[in-house]
Amino acid sequence: MIHMKNLKKIYDDTGTIALENINLDVKKGEFVFLVGPSGAGKSTFIKLLLREVVPDEGVLTVNGRDVIRMSKKDVPYLRRGLGVIFQDYRLLPDKTVYENVAFAMQVIEAPRRLIQRNVNNVLEIVGLRDKYKCFPNQLSGGEQQRVAIARAIVNNPTILIADEPTGNLDPETSWEIMDIFLKINAAGTTILMATHDKEIVNVMKKRVIAIEDGHIVRDEMRGRYGYEN
Amino acid sequence: MSLASVSTVAVSLFILGMFTMLVLNLNKLAENLESQVQINVYIKEDVNREDIKDLEGIIKDMQGVENVTYVDRETAMETFKKRLGDQTSILEALEDTNPLPESLVVELKEPAMVQTAAETLQKYDIVEEAKYGQDVIEHLFDITRLLRIFGFGLMLLLAGATLFIISNTIRLTVFARRKEIAIMKYVGATDWFIRWPFLLEGMVMGLCGGIIADIFLQLGYAEVESKIYNTLAFFPLIPADPFMTYISIGVIITGMFIGAMGSTISLKRFLEV
Ligand SMILES: Nc1ncnc2c1ncn2[C@@H]1O[C@H](COP(=O)(O)OP(=O)(O)OP(=O)(O)O)[C@@H](O)[C@H]1O
Ligand SMILES: [Mg+2]
Repeated sequence: MIHMKNLKKIYDDTGTIALENINLDVKKGEFVFLVGPSGAGKSTFIKLLLREVVPDEGVLTVNGRDVIRMSKKDVPYLRRGLGVIFQDYRLLPDKTVYENVAFAMQVIEAPRRLIQRNVNNVLEIVGLRDKYKCFPNQLSGGEQQRVAIARAIVNNPTILIADEPTGNLDPETSWEIMDIFLKINAAGTTILMATHDKEIVNVMKKRVIAIEDGHIVRDEMRGRYGYEN
Repeated sequence: MSLASVSTVAVSLFILGMFTMLVLNLNKLAENLESQVQINVYIKEDVNREDIKDLEGIIKDMQGVENVTYVDRETAMETFKKRLGDQTSILEALEDTNPLPESLVVELKEPAMVQTAAETLQKYDIVEEAKYGQDVIEHLFDITRLLRIFGFGLMLLLAGATLFIISNTIRLTVFARRKEIAIMKYVGATDWFIRWPFLLEGMVMGLCGGIIADIFLQLGYAEVESKIYNTLAFFPLIPADPFMTYISIGVIITGMFIGAMGSTISLKRFLEV
């Protein structure tokens, strides 16, 4: 699914070495937490997978695609295989729940009949079937994040990538989100989640990759959060 | 896309079109004058009519000569009087004498040959002077050359201004939709899928501006055409048909092209994700 070898990323404008000497493999169906202090390089890691930033050195393949040597016009096809979720939901305020989710299929020109079926399906998965007509500002934070999840999985990605998806949510709501993640993971989707949520990581006992100062310092199956907050 | 931006585009395209038309018409005028280059060969006083006839024959056989006409003193006077019009005081000063010489008017096929031809003609004994409107023509060429450069510069400037207006307008739309664009990029929409609505907007802006500009250009040219026909009939204005059709097509296509370019420019930054 994901293969990284001696991967290095330097931000040219500031000269910051955001990631260095990164080696790892993530297999299909895994559930991986990415932890580490603020500024460690977790978001950069995620941006590399999406090819939002391009690595300076090393090897990176995602879903069998060579992300480094990929041409610009292939980037959209890489991203169609990846679902992304952010801390701040990033929903379109003037579109309903249904439209926000359908949007992700419309812009890759999916057939209309498929759109209707898939959107209803994923709204069922995230438990928002009856709120499909609501606008984002009529929803709670947790519900908005569920819409974002529905949008991220509506195109059946092989990997779901989440950058601090529970960062703005209270513990109870965070667990609702993790419930949905477990369901999606059980259906075979690989999940990679950057988080600062100690409780979630410790309770779930999944693979934990810890990054500090741009280096992987720990990579354990059934790992723990390992930091004091 | 607002009325204000479309009308600004229209004004720019109008001036752009106007300058194109002006430059093309001046070119035409210059060409006309160039082709009308002629040498006036003034004959010395008291020369035999036969000798003039001989010279006329020699000139006719010269290379590059289109036509030779003999102008006697009376005809020259008539032309002179016509040209003077109301300024009769000069005629009064002449008191019925005719100081004008006989002449041969030589028309050339190639305006470039005018100087050598004049020099050759000057050498004949019976020739007082072989003159052509050297200064006038060279001046006119200087002026048209200058106008062409100036007009071209102005056209570039106006095209730049139009580009600026359109790209700025599109930039506002793009900015208002930047979240949508970012999401589209994340879920894997292609750049072309994202680009085409904005491209269309830019091109429609150029099209609308172009059509409005074109309407005024058509009306304006018709007006100028009738004015010139009534007052300056000698001025060889390019006939509106098919000239204005080309101008219309040109203005509209330029507008759409600049519109497409403008939106491409404003989108570039937002597609870099
Ligand atoms: N666009 C950028 N240009 C320059 N430097 C950057 C850029 N983005 C991140 N960095 C730097 O790279 C390093 C890693 O940042 P990154 O955002 O990956 O950290 P993070 O682990 O996600 O932190 P957090 O937990 O606070 O979200 C930091 O030192 C940051 O300042
Ligand atoms: Mg981060």
